[in-house]
Amino acid sequence: MSELKANITLKRGNFDLDVSLQLPERGITALLGPSGSGKSSLLRILAGLDRPQSGQIYQGDSIWYDQDQNIFLPSQQRRIGMVFQNYALFSHLNVAGNVGYGLPRTGRRQHVEQWLTRLQLDKHADHYPAQLSGGQRQRVALARALATDPDMLLLDEPFSAVDVSLRQNLRYQLKALVADSNRPVVIVSHHLEDALLLADHVGVMIEGRILQFGSTHEVFMKPNCRSVAQVLGWQNFLPVRSIAGHTVSGAWGDLQLDGEPGVDTSCIGIRPEHLRIATAEQPGIKAEVLAIHQLGAIRAVQCRLQDGKELEMHTPWDEPVPATGSDIRLYLPLAYARALPEYVVTKPARTEYIKEGDVKRRRFSHA
Amino acid sequence: MDTQAIWLTLKLATITVILLLLFSLPLAWWLAHTKSRIKVPVEALTALPLVLPPTVLGFYLLVMFGAHGPLGKFWVSLTGHPLSFSFTGLVIASCFYSLPFVVQPLQAAFEKLEPHALEAAWTLGATRLRAFFTVVVPQARRGFLTAIVLGFAHTVGEFGVVLMVGGNIPGQTQVISIAIYEHVEVLEYGAAHQLSSALLIFSFAVLFIVYGLNRRWNGGIHA
Repeated sequence: MSELKANITLKRGNFDLDVSLQLPERGITALLGPSGSGKSSLLRILAGLDRPQSGQIYQGDSIWYDQDQNIFLPSQQRRIGMVFQNYALFSHLNVAGNVGYGLPRTGRRQHVEQWLTRLQLDKHADHYPAQLSGGQRQRVALARALATDPDMLLLDEPFSAVDVSLRQNLRYQLKALVADSNRPVVIVSHHLEDALLLADHVGVMIEGRILQFGSTHEVFMKPNCRSVAQVLGWQNFLPVRSIAGHTVSGAWGDLQLDGEPGVDTSCIGIRPEHLRIATAEQPGIKAEVLAIHQLGAIRAVQCRLQDGKELEMHTPWDEPVPATGSDIRLYLPLAYARALPEYVVTKPARTEYIKEGDVKRRRFSHA
Repeated sequence: MDTQAIWLTLKLATITVILLLLFSLPLAWWLAHTKSRIKVPVEALTALPLVLPPTVLGFYLLVMFGAHGPLGKFWVSLTGHPLSFSFTGLVIASCFYSLPFVVQPLQAAFEKLEPHALEAAWTLGATRLRAFFTVVVPQARRGFLTAIVLGFAHTVGEFGVVLMVGGNIPGQTQVISIAIYEHVEVLEYGAAHQLSSALLIFSFAVLFIVYGLNRRWNGGIHA
């Protein structure tokens, strides 16, 4: 019984946050979105560092925030662990001091030693944060947050302050570290890899709203609108002018879909890796090869349709591609082409209002 | 030696620094974090004693402290004694006079605190009081030390303001600098020498300790 439900709004100048969120009881949830979309603000609100203007936050059977009852549980009493974007380590304390900060005096030393061993920081117990590398600092921040055995772990862009080359390993480490625990973990990030590698659930945030929330696979495979698809790395969108039965058409030609597209369909979206060059039997859209870029193990082929619209196709680097300037026909596998509306706000049903007295307020003491 | 004047000066400086720390803490914290439009005028007002001739500051304080001044009237109605030419008046005047020397180092130290370190302490369960003493105070310790020492030394060295609002009453308002002045006035150069050299050595020792500690603390954290 530690499911978190939040319905909150916060307006500050031009910024407008309006979120309904139901966090799964376990597993890692990634909040993805461009910078300025409000994901860090949401995390700070969950942490009790900022107070929303209206709504409720319930965690299991305890009330963290309820504007109508004027309840606001401060950070100290929420039993959360937080890893800040730049780790916010205490520069005047050494590694052991940092990790032990939130622990009661009795048994602190053994507890700290345990965590240092677990995160391979034993050798650095006496070092100060200024003496550590980015990856080591991240581990100290993680150890410090986890040592208090929080009910929930919140991470704000945990990999932004470490070298790109180290990120992959740190992601695996983080996953292994939190996988065996029952506590929910929320990661705020604007890197798709963080979500794909780590998260069981993904929420996509744009302009202060959660536009889609679901399992990572589902959200990445089936974005519910163009804005979400864009955040998730879909690059190709064919504008739709008219819909007739299963057929959608635009200036680029037409396409016969498997099912009937929604009436609010504004475009057909497809990821670059699913675009293919059509074989003789396959239906195709006429295009011209504009440029070919080598992106590591894949090749990005930039194509221009007859109406001037540009699409990008990714192929394995060793697969032959037509030369720049040649005319080709592009094939959109129907399984991967999605009819998308422009913008959708999904709001889970508002969490039912809990009357005062129904719930005993659970006060946490943090010795 | 004028032990009375020395004792009075130390008492004045100690009480002034304690009071100033209490007032300056919230003020410096606010100045370090606010985005308010009145920050700049407040900053300018705080720094005023740095540039104002002590006699000007002393003159206006004297007007305020007088039996007909706003503060003086209130004080007389409260205690029956006037503020001007009293030790209490001297303490209040010293607080104004040394304010920037306490506020500015604290503000600078608060501005340099790691962003979110305090919030990190809260998420780890620390109460606001504990977080303040275990995160803010150690991280801003150089600022605290500088504020205390400069506030103390500056109060010890004040002359013009004391002369204006305190006068020269032995045991009441006659601090070291006034005593030196009086010795010179009546050509007691030997006594003036004693006090002056004591003040000189004291000032040098204080600054020496501050710079030394700053250097060591700096090394301790980032070595």
